[in-house]
Amino acid sequence: MPSPADLVGEVLGFVSEVLSASSLRFEVGPTLVVLGILLVLLQLVARPVTRWTSGDAGGLGAIGRAMALAAEAGTDAVVSIGAAGIARSTDALARLQTLAAMPVLDHVARAAARSGVPLRVLTNDPLAGVVAEVTIDAAHRRTSTEERVGRSRVVMVGEGRGVAAGLPLTARARPAAAIAIGSLREEAQLHLAGLRGTAGSLTAGTAEASQAGTVLLASPDGLVGPEPFQVAADLGAVVEERTAVTAANRLIAMAVLVAILVSVLALLDVVDLVPFLLGTSGG
Amino acid sequence: MRRATIPALVVVAGLLLLVDYLVVNASLGELAGIVVDAAILVSAGAALAAVAALAVRRAGDLWRRRGDPVGAVLVLAGMAAVLLAGLRPGASGASDPAVLWILNALLVPLGASLFGLLFVSTLLAFQRSISARSREAIVMALAAVAILVLLLPVGGTAGGWLDGAAAWALAVPIGGVFRGLLLGIAILGAVVAARTMLGIGAGDE
Repeated sequence: MPSPADLVGEVLGFVSEVLSASSLRFEVGPTLVVLGILLVLLQLVARPVTRWTSGDAGGLGAIGRAMALAAEAGTDAVVSIGAAGIARSTDALARLQTLAAMPVLDHVARAAARSGVPLRVLTNDPLAGVVAEVTIDAAHRRTSTEERVGRSRVVMVGEGRGVAAGLPLTARARPAAAIAIGSLREEAQLHLAGLRGTAGSLTAGTAEASQAGTVLLASPDGLVGPEPFQVAADLGAVVEERTAVTAANRLIAMAVLVAILVSVLALLDVVDLVPFLLGTSGG
Repeated sequence: MRRATIPALVVVAGLLLLVDYLVVNASLGELAGIVVDAAILVSAGAALAAVAALAVRRAGDLWRRRGDPVGAVLVLAGMAAVLLAGLRPGASGASDPAVLWILNALLVPLGASLFGLLFVSTLLAFQRSISARSREAIVMALAAVAILVLLLPVGGTAGGWLDGAAAWALAVPIGGVFRGLLLGIAILGAVVAARTMLGIGAGDE
């Protein structure tokens, strides 16, 4: 019968054999750089709450009010998760935006579930549709409103970016609120124009740099550039943390303002407040 | 149980792909290949299931006389036409000339006509946003006018100056803003990718 020492020896031998059969894909330097970047990313991942900025990105904090209006009017709400999907033939950054849209969908789905508002999710990718359905189911489970889950649905608009642009333009439904977050390229203007034309309010966001202007035209609170990725962290932050960040930001802004003002006054030889502020004027 | 299994699978697959990115090892490469192939197979299966569900749903609409019958007939006829063209005996699948004709003669013009609306809808969006006194829209409109002026086809010294100014605007302010946006997108994209690969969601925060 092998002893525990033999077992440990076997495991160590196996590990050393695997290591000796492997080599680094890059040189040591680049590998350390990649690992260093990964460490920084993991540090951000471990506590992904936004630290330096805080705000109601995209006006998503007020989604509860939109859902209350929808419930009162007896209408639904629309969430479009972009035209890239997860399994469609497009670049990784576009597909990543679909994943980044899921926390937003979760946030909206929970608000809709609480208010009893049916949700319509627009997608042109079957796999993204499945993920969206799971997200909606989870939102209903977390809000203990599973009896309402059947009223929400995921709409497969069809293959291609053209149909994603065309469908909202021809829709007859009038949702109380529309949220479009995800990869939107050349179809962005048409897609958002269609949603804006029928919906009571529109929040749009895309990380496509070339469509930043389109998003801002469609929705003044639009999420542009990296904001669609950032918004998930803002939604995850508790109120106290956001308040603390806001307060800290204001204090920093005031300190910077005072520093600039004092510097300008000192440079203009009006009054030198530097010793006073540093507490050295007495000495 | 379901909550623990799926994140565990995501973490294992994510870490495997990360390690394979950094380390050259034949077994590891094969394992990563299996994971990627499995993901592709799942995607393909989901796509096929979605197509079948769409056909069944539209056929059901027609059978039960509900919804939009014209749309249902168009969807089913379109699917049948492409399947017939691509799968008939002797056809070469997606690259068959009949399939390519359907794409080039029907789908491409339809898409082009739709995207032809972009110019009009962009102008309407500008008009609506400026009417609403949106600061962003006013700044964008002023910038667009400035760029249009710089791109005027004028000759001579003035034309050269306009041309130089247009090139400078493209390379410096517009290029700077774009690079800044792309840097921010890349950094936060990497964070989201890491969160996804490690199965960290909003509920875990």
